[in-house]
Amino acid sequence: MVVLGWVLKEKGLPAQRADGSPQAASSDVFTPAHPTIADAIREFFDLRPKPVQPIAYTHKVHLGNGMQCTDCHVGVDQGPDARIPSVNFCMTCHQVIATDKPEIRKLAAYRARGEDIPWQRVYGFEPSAHVKFNHAPHIRAGVDCSVCHGDMRQQTVAERKVDHTMGFCIACHQQKNAPLDCVTCHF
Amino acid sequence: MARQWGMAIDLDRCTGCEACVVACHAENNISTVGEEQAAIGRAKHWIRVERYYEGEFPDVTVKFMPVLCQQCDAAPCEPVCPTFASYHTSEGLNGQVYNRCIGTRYCANACPYTVRFFNFYNPIWEKPLQLQLNPDVSIRSVGTMEKCMFCVQRIKAGEIQAAAEKHELRDGEIQPACVQSCPTRAMVFGDLSDPESEVSRWAGSSRATKLLGELGTRPKVTYLQRDSWHGSEDA
Amino acid sequence: MERRDFLKISAAAGATAALEGCGNPDHQLIRFVPEEDLIPGLATWKPSICTLCPAGCGLSVRVMPGDAEVVRKGQLGLLKMGLAKKLEGNPAHPINRGKLCPRGQAGLQVTYHPDRLKGPLVRTGRRGSGQFREVSWDDAIQQLVSHLSDLQESKSEGRLAFVTAPLRGQRKMIIDTFAASFKRSMAVEFAFFDDSVIRSANAASFGHALPPTVDMGESNYVISFGADFLGTWNSPVAQSLGFGQMRKGRPGERGKFVQFEPRISQTGASADEWIPVEPGAEGMLALSLAHVIIAEKQRPAAAAGHAGSLVEGWSQGLTDFAPEKIAAQIGVKPETIRRIAREAAAHDPAVALIGDAAVAHTNGLFNALAVNALNALLGSVGKPGGVLFGPVPAAKQPAASLESWAAQVNSGAAAVEVLLLYNANPVFAAPAVWGVHAALDKIPFIASFGSFIDETSALADLILPDHSALESWLEDTPVSGSGKVVVSVAPPTMNPLHNTRAMPDVLLEVAHRLGGESAKALPWKTYDEAIQASFAALYKEMGSKTAKDAEEFWKKAQEQGGWWSAEESRVTPVSGSSAGAAVKNSAPRFDGNPSEYPYYFLPFASQLFYDGSLAHLPWMQEAPDPLSTVMWGAWVEINPRTAEKLAIKQGDLVEVASPHGKLEAPALVTPGIAPDVIAMPVGQGHENFTRYATGRGANPISILSSATVEGTGSLAWAATRVTLSSVGQGKLILFGGSLSENPPELKHR
Repeated sequence: MVVLGWVLKEKGLPAQRADGSPQAASSDVFTPAHPTIADAIREFFDLRPKPVQPIAYTHKVHLGNGMQCTDCHVGVDQGPDARIPSVNFCMTCHQVIATDKPEIRKLAAYRARGEDIPWQRVYGFEPSAHVKFNHAPHIRAGVDCSVCHGDMRQQTVAERKVDHTMGFCIACHQQKNAPLDCVTCHF
Repeated sequence: MARQWGMAIDLDRCTGCEACVVACHAENNISTVGEEQAAIGRAKHWIRVERYYEGEFPDVTVKFMPVLCQQCDAAPCEPVCPTFASYHTSEGLNGQVYNRCIGTRYCANACPYTVRFFNFYNPIWEKPLQLQLNPDVSIRSVGTMEKCMFCVQRIKAGEIQAAAEKHELRDGEIQPACVQSCPTRAMVFGDLSDPESEVSRWAGSSRATKLLGELGTRPKVTYLQRDSWHGSEDA
Repeated sequence: MERRDFLKISAAAGATAALEGCGNPDHQLIRFVPEEDLIPGLATWKPSICTLCPAGCGLSVRVMPGDAEVVRKGQLGLLKMGLAKKLEGNPAHPINRGKLCPRGQAGLQVTYHPDRLKGPLVRTGRRGSGQFREVSWDDAIQQLVSHLSDLQESKSEGRLAFVTAPLRGQRKMIIDTFAASFKRSMAVEFAFFDDSVIRSANAASFGHALPPTVDMGESNYVISFGADFLGTWNSPVAQSLGFGQMRKGRPGERGKFVQFEPRISQTGASADEWIPVEPGAEGMLALSLAHVIIAEKQRPAAAAGHAGSLVEGWSQGLTDFAPEKIAAQIGVKPETIRRIAREAAAHDPAVALIGDAAVAHTNGLFNALAVNALNALLGSVGKPGGVLFGPVPAAKQPAASLESWAAQVNSGAAAVEVLLLYNANPVFAAPAVWGVHAALDKIPFIASFGSFIDETSALADLILPDHSALESWLEDTPVSGSGKVVVSVAPPTMNPLHNTRAMPDVLLEVAHRLGGESAKALPWKTYDEAIQASFAALYKEMGSKTAKDAEEFWKKAQEQGGWWSAEESRVTPVSGSSAGAAVKNSAPRFDGNPSEYPYYFLPFASQLFYDGSLAHLPWMQEAPDPLSTVMWGAWVEINPRTAEKLAIKQGDLVEVASPHGKLEAPALVTPGIAPDVIAMPVGQGHENFTRYATGRGANPISILSSATVEGTGSLAWAATRVTLSSVGQGKLILFGGSLSENPPELKHR
């Protein structure tokens, strides 16, 4: 019990290092260990806080203007990941389009500072699920983006509309006679 | 017929150099455990080079044998796992599903080849060593078993690529990291269900043996025993 | 509980930087705009060159986008950049043809090492105290420039010295040219394992001051005198490819391989016959084999041509080397010598190799010349299945050896004002008796281009850290391993992680700022400009069937990792230099009298650490040594009878003492070593070389004598005798179990 109490009290690295210099923003090791017990519990119950997006990007507006998913999410038909474009990509249009809007001003400010927009992940698997999802075979098989991501044309700021439980994936795999072997996704 | 992946290792070519050992670490995100943990037997060499000395000085011979998971068709590790984390895949591999594993370690206990390794602690990479990690392979956390799966990530990637390019997988197109690096070309990997594949031909050699085959594990790695020189007969 | 232990069990008590799970950008590191156009999850393959040993293998590097913590304008943040993830052999490269050795695989850890120097440093505390402060590149270069311009202008006798590893190609050209622009400068090349004896022997015997390229794939009989050609000697991957081919790559044919050496090396372990021979007696053994071949009329003595004439007594049939006469002295039975000689003569093509300890005795040159003569007799020189010499211009000999340089500095004969260090760690890798540390103490200003603090760079006043190899422009002209002409080149595979700069670029800028001779001699602004110029010259000389101009030639070379000739050229050996009288048979001499120092001391190159320069890589520390399976440590190999006689058990801490020093390491009892030989791997025993290698094991180089190889002056590192005693309990971490497949302790079952 003493250990448990001690463990629960552990908060974080001290703000200063021994020589008085400020603590670096990240620790000096990379590990799959959770940063806090609270994080470990959250992951176990799949409780993900609602992501706070730095800019109120709205899919509705962009898709409504005739853009396609793959205009920004490059690579989804070639490999595992869908790219989230960098601020430079957004600015190719937004250096002239809607430049007076406050959200666009935020965008320009990021670029002026040399910073990329810190988009927060909406869809994704917990590390402990050990899932290696690969977009490309799904796109090539003709699975529409909306099947897994919902109808983005109805969404303003992106939200998780579809729960990617294993059952969700398995159901579709069974229906479409796609591989059901565990190592298809877990390796 | 579904593919059955297998491997053949020619011990007449293997020189024990351990290129396979290091290539495997690099490809599969195997963490370094450090001196103290290595001292109590917890180093995780998914493939290792066994070496055996025979004889006394000056008549000494040494044999090398790379040992990795044999992906046994009658794997002793599969029936003992309470959560089916250790199971047989449709392509003949012994799969290790990390998210199912609850760390009972019965599988390592049952394995006669000592090729299963447990994560007693969360692995640590001192930054920025983690930048080397392969994004196509999971990072295992504490309490899970890990072992060789014939670089299943490369098998998957190869199959997906071949499907995208609309051609059949060619023999030798997919190579696990160990096979790819081996400087003497001592290792070969392929589809045992294809009688024309190189691995099938090697498996049919007169020198072919199985490691601990007498235990009934039906391993899928064939070892070609070291040959001897026949030249003295025709001097 | 230690913080590290706590981390390992469950939760890392740490800040939540870059943890996407928290979903709040305010708790995360800022993200910089990517500098490259990358698609996540997709890999590109880029060519590169391995620089970890002299072989010069070609690499194919898998590069994928990933998030790196970098500093931009003083601020820490995340940057998505292309990162090298996996190294493979370049399938198109003629040297290694797609294969790679374990050290090459570990090269990734150099780039991502936690103790890599992240920017220029200036010493603040006492020399060697390890106290440095960060400075800007501009300041650092200016400091170096000011010390060098003082040197150029001063009327004193002060000189510039540049100590490096043996180098090739444009990198060597830039360093040599830079050094030469200073009067009386000294360019010194040093590596503990070098090929100078073999080059001297090949120059004398065959007219080529080069290591041999062995066409082993077509051989039917290979005799190696001590060369660890499958592990660490010369061009291991190329030789391994040939070995695999010789063994099982030709249907119906299998060559035989015999290894003569007093301690079974990793290569010897793959031999059909490992035959121990007295240390230093390899040359006599080779001549005895030659005697049998000549006496039994398998080949005429004259077949050995010039190489044979260099050996005293050759034309008379080497009667002094009849097996019965020398068997006791060389430790090989006469019937064995006769049998091997007959087998080799009857199984054409037969080839002999010599290397490692066999050429590191005081009679190393004689041994090498004897083996050359044997090769010539067997008819393997310049023929398929034998040895050939790459069509490469031989390197000029450097002006000074490190030993004589240190002696000159220590005695005051050479007053060195400024010392530049690149890719060399002589305080660790040179014998203590050479006094390298003391020499450095005498030098007012030392600058290092190294990427790490090691025993030598710790003594620097200024550090200008180079990029890691994967972040650099690279070029190389390998001297062995293929019959094709090979000129490798590769652009950087990834952007630099830290605030480092390419060493040749820094030198060029220093030269430019210095002006005068230095600037005139080095007109290029960057290293890749110099490489491109050399490729333009290559294009002019060689032409190309596929490139229509120099521009395209350059582009294609970068894409494939270099340029190589389509055909192999087998250079015919010419009569070498008739360097006076034939070399007499010389018996090896050892330092230390046998009554006090009863054992021969045999350092050997480690398959994992090579010469110690790779001991800082954790994969290399944790990979089990192939023969002993030792991890994270050093050891001393002892024969079981010797161990019993000295009451030494496996794992005991033993003290090994030479006339020049002593060290302690745990004992490993093994049958694969002669009873009067003690062997120890080179590579551990670093006092200061990153968190992984510091304070681990012991360094056999530190107790070596300064005996030299007659006729070349290079270090005879196998010429030291030692004594041995148990001093306590050591720590031996073995990955493997018993040495034997049928351990005696299990026999009762």
